[in-house]
Amino acid sequence: MRSWYYSIDTMTEQELITISEAAEILGVSVDTLRRWDKSGKLSPVKTSDAGYRLYSRFQIELFLNDLFGLAKDWLLRGTEIPLTFYCSNSAVFQTRLIRMQDLLAGVKELAAIFPLIVAIAGEIGNNSFDHNLGNWPDTPGIFFGYDIYKRTIVLADRGLGILTTLKRVKPELMNDEKALEVAFTEILSGRAPENRGNGLKFVRKIVSENPIALLFQTGNAELILKKDSDTLDIKDSSEPFRGCLALISF
Amino acid sequence: MFGFNIILIMRVEVKKFGTTLISRQNGREAFAALQTQLAALGEDDNLGLDFEGVITFSPSWGDEFLSPLLKKYGMRLTLINTGNPSVKATLELLEKINQMAFKVR
Repeated sequence: MRSWYYSIDTMTEQELITISEAAEILGVSVDTLRRWDKSGKLSPVKTSDAGYRLYSRFQIELFLNDLFGLAKDWLLRGTEIPLTFYCSNSAVFQTRLIRMQDLLAGVKELAAIFPLIVAIAGEIGNNSFDHNLGNWPDTPGIFFGYDIYKRTIVLADRGLGILTTLKRVKPELMNDEKALEVAFTEILSGRAPENRGNGLKFVRKIVSENPIALLFQTGNAELILKKDSDTLDIKDSSEPFRGCLALISF
Repeated sequence: MFGFNIILIMRVEVKKFGTTLISRQNGREAFAALQTQLAALGEDDNLGLDFEGVITFSPSWGDEFLSPLLKKYGMRLTLINTGNPSVKATLELLEKINQMAFKVR
């Protein structure tokens, strides 16, 4: 059996595809792929005798597998993201979240906690839409990708970030680290005009009580949460950006 | 001489609003849709919300749907079949936010 898998892998690795096929798999335009080649972000493995760019299917699959890298690149540089991961509005996100829920429900070891995983991904994703509605600085919507085999979920938005949105109800907040701490710890009731925002407390509670880990970044602050972590581990991030980025591992 | 009050319980299946209950927007819409049914609820009648069949439940949806019901009906609101972990965790948070406890059966 092992050699059979090996031969499939080798075949996939060697299978060459055209720029149009690669663009279709990635959900971006051919022009984008040409730009990515020039910038060095994703270059073809070879060029045909006639001068056409050729990619390997394996290389494209690897590229798609780097969910965190793709999301971070989108946040830092505003690069185009594959349509597979782009949710332009909350209805699209909801549909894809249900698809993920169905897949997770099929994993035997996750039977007891998959509703919690879906719920925290749902809270983080919907927070992005709720907090930025009508105020998206540039690209509206979120990045939402998951890998059931690697047990990871990545969510990101190019929105205002937690500090800006929390300042509406707590103008005294001065930096991203403090905003992140408040978002994950303080239960705020009757928060009009900010009628939302207790979702991250829910996320913290779920993560601290279950075999789930979370990396959450906004502005120049980064938070790491895991099971049984009583204190919040918040530190400066080396690569600040506007918006939010979350990596859930389970 | 032997008069007694009959208290009716209106039972609502939450799964009829969906089994993945996540966003505030959908929670608000579900709450609005429920109002037509609630119009038939008498002053002394109770409301029972049955969570059987709900797969994923989150505070955003719950805050829009359950919080106003809790404030309006208080102990006349009973929650049934709340064993799903996401339902349980959400109810705990909503109780903290509203500083009121749900009656759970």
